[in-house]
Amino acid sequence: MTQQQIIETVNRALSEEFELEPADMSPEAHLYNDLGLDSLDAVDMVIVLENAFGCKLRDEKAIQNIRTMGDLYAFIEEKKKELE
Amino acid sequence: MTDPVRPSGTGPSRTVLRSSRSRLSIQALIMNLTVYPLLILQTLFFILLAPLVLPLAKFLAGRDVGRTVRYFIWVYGRIWMVIMSPFVRFETDGLSADRFPVPCIIVVNHLSFFDIFCMGALPFSNGAFTVRKWPFRMFWYAPFMRLAGYVDMESFGVDRAMRRCSALLSQGVSLMFFPEGHRSRDGELGRFYSGAFKLAVQTDTPLVPVCISGTDQLLPPGRFFMAPATVRMQALGSIEPSGFSGESDHVALRKQVKERIDQALADMRRCSQESNK
Repeated sequence: MTQQQIIETVNRALSEEFELEPADMSPEAHLYNDLGLDSLDAVDMVIVLENAFGCKLRDEKAIQNIRTMGDLYAFIEEKKKELE
Repeated sequence: MTDPVRPSGTGPSRTVLRSSRSRLSIQALIMNLTVYPLLILQTLFFILLAPLVLPLAKFLAGRDVGRTVRYFIWVYGRIWMVIMSPFVRFETDGLSADRFPVPCIIVVNHLSFFDIFCMGALPFSNGAFTVRKWPFRMFWYAPFMRLAGYVDMESFGVDRAMRRCSALLSQGVSLMFFPEGHRSRDGELGRFYSGAFKLAVQTDTPLVPVCISGTDQLLPPGRFFMAPATVRMQALGSIEPSGFSGESDHVALRKQVKERIDQALADMRRCSQESNK
């Protein structure tokens, strides 16, 4: 899976789940301050990403440090590399 | 060369339009000059009455303080509607007791500061709002909100807020949520947050969607000057969360409720346009 495919999959999953505008989902966008997600959304986000990428993410410690969309893309990319 | 754009109304029709606008602004001026002082008087009356009535209700009648304050707030909302009634037409649909199981979780779209006051139109008084931090900064309302058990979702944090909400529901107190989290700035329905829906699924509490329109004409966000308006409120049928029990089923519930509110608001807007013709 290429980096671009990861970005597209994440953006599609989150825009469907949280009604976010794709244009707002830049790598610099802060999940809470810019995109308006809350802590309940963070739990749902993990579930929706697990479904989108077919791997378990909720036990990963690194997920707690994710603040921006860029952090999220990098986290998924790393996880996919681990699994390949 | 194209013709310059002409104003849509000319001659007598423009005069009629101007005259109806000035009549409206005079009416709005009278509204603001009478309603705000009456609201201040109403609030002062309740603030002065509370220290007398609440101890009497608790020690003489053995009534729960939270329950009494929630009743007071509901009466306050009903009196507010009476004060507003010369300038605001209230139209309700389905706001009957049989539409609201006890307890239930009510989700309302949010257009104006006055949406909370409109809850005086509900057919029961034992309800508490879940709100953000800022309403608690209104020192004249904050003590009543605290006594009534209103839940400050922002300061409490998710876990504590959900525990508090569950406790209120178990006491038979219905909860009211604005799932958009803030007032709409353009009249359109915003994104829904998950709190109310997750709570409904976790506690197996029926959810009642309520639609409100016209309060953004009455007092739009960021404005102080009120304007005459028609406020419409409609309760949609309650939804049992028992069919939504999976890990992400509150999301499906949230989407279904949003779709129903969106559809009902579109119908309300269409009716409003037709009645204005």
